[in-house]
Amino acid sequence: MITGTGITKTFKQRGSVLGAREVRALRGVDFAVEAGGAVSFIGESGCGKTTLGRIIAGLETYDSGEIVIDGVPMSGLGHRRRQPYFRRIQLIHQDPYSALNPTRTIHQTLEAPLALRAKQTGRPRSWVDARATELLSLVGIDPGYVLPRYPHQLSGGMRQRVVIARALTMDPEVLVADEAVSMIDVSLRLGILALLKDLRVRLGVGVLFITHDIATARYIGDDSELYVLYRGQVVERGPTETIITRPVHPYTQSLLSATPVLHGLELPGAERVVPTEALDPGGSDEGCLFAPRCPFATQLCVERRPTLSHDGTTLQEHACLHPRVRSVIPVDAVNRAEPGTEQRTGTEADTGARG
Amino acid sequence: MSPDPTAPTSHAHSAPGVRVRGLTVVYKTPMGELPAVSNVDLTLAPGTITGVVGESGSGKSTLALCLLNAVQPPGRIAAGSVEIDGLGDVVELGGEELRRARGRHVGYVFQAAQNSLNPLKTIGKQLLDLGRSHGVADLRALVRDAKDLLARMGMDGARVLDSYQHELSGGMRQRVGIMLALVLNARVVVLDEPTTALDMITQATILRIVREVHDERGLTTLVITHDVGAVAEVADDLAVMYGGRVVEHGPVKEVLGDPRHPYTQGLIRAIPRLSGDIGEARALPGRPPTLGTLPAAGCVFRERCDRRMDVCDTVEPVALTRDGRTVACHAAAEDADRRLTAARRKEFA
Repeated sequence: MITGTGITKTFKQRGSVLGAREVRALRGVDFAVEAGGAVSFIGESGCGKTTLGRIIAGLETYDSGEIVIDGVPMSGLGHRRRQPYFRRIQLIHQDPYSALNPTRTIHQTLEAPLALRAKQTGRPRSWVDARATELLSLVGIDPGYVLPRYPHQLSGGMRQRVVIARALTMDPEVLVADEAVSMIDVSLRLGILALLKDLRVRLGVGVLFITHDIATARYIGDDSELYVLYRGQVVERGPTETIITRPVHPYTQSLLSATPVLHGLELPGAERVVPTEALDPGGSDEGCLFAPRCPFATQLCVERRPTLSHDGTTLQEHACLHPRVRSVIPVDAVNRAEPGTEQRTGTEADTGARG
Repeated sequence: MSPDPTAPTSHAHSAPGVRVRGLTVVYKTPMGELPAVSNVDLTLAPGTITGVVGESGSGKSTLALCLLNAVQPPGRIAAGSVEIDGLGDVVELGGEELRRARGRHVGYVFQAAQNSLNPLKTIGKQLLDLGRSHGVADLRALVRDAKDLLARMGMDGARVLDSYQHELSGGMRQRVGIMLALVLNARVVVLDEPTTALDMITQATILRIVREVHDERGLTTLVITHDVGAVAEVADDLAVMYGGRVVEHGPVKEVLGDPRHPYTQGLIRAIPRLSGDIGEARALPGRPPTLGTLPAAGCVFRERCDRRMDVCDTVEPVALTRDGRTVACHAAAEDADRRLTAARRKEFA
């Protein structure tokens, strides 16, 4: 199990004569990923989700806060003593086309980390090949076909499976999947998501899923937790299905509203929220971070910064001074309206169910 | 939201139509010349937005390039025509004529507009280059038009023209790409993956802008994408490509609500969605074909199809059009016949 408390990270931009510009990538983020659990981080680019993923994978330092892996706090350990812990957290990159060495066959790609693993655990060399075959079967590809091939001979979906198999060579506790399906063909995306869900069950490996597309977060398991990040702050946190169907933070609602509606199959939600455009990406640091773009912001929002907490009325935690559930996600059009007739299901009255 | 495609917009009389007929594009490979686009017919009705969706290797980008006659070697247009109203057959154009048509008649917003701008020149300088290369006499008017267009898309025109590309965000660069495609008053616009690599909120903004500018300027627009959602939001018509063929084409609501080709059905079932049953969604088995793995005869989709029949192995299905819906599938043709017979029987009963 991995927990983080109060993780902050500030990037300082150097090189400017007029003084350094600071970007506060993370402003005190708490999280917990359990063995076999699933946590999704969503938000726009620049919200800090990738930085958080890199910190959790041990690839980036953090300014303050504490990461605890299996009960051991990382801040007390030196670099060398941290390594075995962070090795148990493996990163799956976004781009399966550049994540694999093009001059190595898949066999060579898997052999190197497995040989290391064999040495660490005192297993014989013969274990390496057997394990490579086993891992490829586990991720759903034919080892006989894939092992002798180079990455360019494989499709995007196959490459991503190889990347996942490579991450599994280290017997990880947690897989950090940063936009792991955004570059995969649409017809194969669900396959990769189903694989991650399957690995949770079969290997008890935790999944930390980072994405800008909330819809994909539904498919890594119905017990998953969702964190919505905005400018380095978690603004809403709770069960994925709850946040998608009953979001209370206007930023979450904006993200959900922006998901395209499949007209003909779905009808748009009745209360879609469109945020005002960010004029200054730096923005003000006073009050609620989302207030400058929020259509519902009041004077209070400009003055006070809400913190993430339960208010007792919702299942999820949120950081909003004026929380309200809005129906922003598309409604299934099937069985609700005859194709061609535009029917608004703005109210709860289910017109189609009677027909 | 999207206007009724049967009711022409106020500009429809002036928007050009585009007719692609029997288009075949081949690429030279060590295995001989292989078709990336094979005998494609596609009509873009004047004043409509047509979305073309397909996976990697479906030939959608190659098809888009044909509207500019810009297929690069080792590829070449082997057969067919691309008729654009007011311009003629683009495939027959060449040299200076073709250069002038690009940008003037057909605007093209390239895939990853993020990387299609010159990093060493300000946007304004690139705009002037564009004007000069097309012999625009009044460059001041061109700059004015550009500023108007940028303002229309919610940006400060003067500031953007003075900027280098690295000073703009992804969504802003995409808007600059759209501005450069429209500033010479092109009436046919091709957008290649306009929202790839953009955030959800930025994507929604860009799609809204595409729709609005399209309506205001009376354009005929082609949007190429791998993301069904992106076109569902803006397009009037939807064409689905697979293995270099257009396998289904029709009004977007009908294609999404009642898909007839097994590939379209599988593709829609495979979209991660916010609504709908998670359990019903599943990935398509197999993987998209590449140039080298396309079967020489029969249906290109049969390997992944759940309705495969004997005839699919030998005979390539032809595209049949019924009630405004075009489908190229043996099984779907049987379904259509059955529906017709059932309807007749009802009539006589």
